[in-house]
Amino acid sequence: MQENSLRNWKIHLFVLILVCVTEFIGVKTLNIGIGAIALFPMLYALIIGAIISLPSLKILKTKEMNIAANILGISFMLFVAKLGMLMGPSLPKIFEAGISLGLQEVGHFAGTILLGLPIALLLGMKREAVGATFSIDREPNLAIIAEKYGSDSPEGRGALGVYVCGTLFGALYLSVLASVMAQTGWFHPISLAMGAGVGSGSMMAAMSGALAVIFPESAKDIAIFAGAANLITTILGTYICVFFSLPFTNYLYKKLEPILGRKAKQDQMKNI
Amino acid sequence: MKDKILTFVTIGIIALMGNWIGYNVSPTEALPGMMIIVAVTILGFFLAKIIPIKLPIVIWVSMLALLITTPIFPGNESIIKVTEQVNFMALATPILAYAGLSFGKDLKEFKKLGWRIVVISLVVYTGTFLLSSLVAEIGFRLTGKFH
Repeated sequence: MQENSLRNWKIHLFVLILVCVTEFIGVKTLNIGIGAIALFPMLYALIIGAIISLPSLKILKTKEMNIAANILGISFMLFVAKLGMLMGPSLPKIFEAGISLGLQEVGHFAGTILLGLPIALLLGMKREAVGATFSIDREPNLAIIAEKYGSDSPEGRGALGVYVCGTLFGALYLSVLASVMAQTGWFHPISLAMGAGVGSGSMMAAMSGALAVIFPESAKDIAIFAGAANLITTILGTYICVFFSLPFTNYLYKKLEPILGRKAKQDQMKNI
Repeated sequence: MKDKILTFVTIGIIALMGNWIGYNVSPTEALPGMMIIVAVTILGFFLAKIIPIKLPIVIWVSMLALLITTPIFPGNESIIKVTEQVNFMALATPILAYAGLSFGKDLKEFKKLGWRIVVISLVVYTGTFLLSSLVAEIGFRLTGKFH
């Protein structure tokens, strides 16, 4: 990273204005029939910021957007520090939930594969499916795929595709999903908070924000457990991806591809 | 490093404004807490630099923040008290504003993608969230915690 890659007053000024305006608007809920969606300042800031950055509006240059992305990468650390300070006094409570907290990590790592791989194969994807579904495809995961297959391989393209979609829509999508799941009444707020620790900063922030709006009385617990789960996901992430996720995805691909993959081909034939 | 410190201070000031407008805590009241948060973050980066064990910075910052707020640390109670003045949501708003402002740079890449990968990415994110929440929920129901 270049030394001046963080210095841009225009970006900071935009953020200041966005923060002031969006915090002024405050929390709202939008009823969409099946339930209410939590709308809150960070979500508005994300959406309005995205509109400002649209290349067709010519407000920001690509260089400035890259600086915004660089700042994003380190700004999350302030949030992490704040979460850590919430966790410190609650350590006994966190240990009390230890079994669930540990086990749910299996869900974080296996969830992408178990749900993603079969659907990817049904849609007719081949080796791209392995890169796309072995993890949530953030930067550390991309590095693992690039090292093993090269970034120009089918696996690399699959991983990069999910990475790009996640960067653009991950936080927004997951916060809406968190709102919807919160209102089914099937889950305890803390279960969902742990689920929000997906291992990506902006996604975790947006999800815990949505949950905190819907369960205001548990807001602090949500921050604590989302933070704790996210920390564990981050610590274990690289190791699990190398030693479990990737081999497991490949194993499952070998088993499932002949069944689901061929079916997709037949469907395509029928369509023709 | 100087640029990083300057960036953290700037974001800290922006978050103080948001904390004021959105959560009615005046910047003077929240300033000591914000200074601790910024200091811990900077110290975390510093530790990652000087300690030869290669760990992500997130871990250093988290561990440091955890340590100074646990009961074993002298003065932890006053640290907790002042940092409580900074709402965690107020700190997240600027972060997502930066995320929003960087949106346009990946649009070109996105337009090259097929619809399949877009669907799969949503499925992948759904899978990781849903399955982990489900396992946590089952864990809680079996152990009787929080229910």
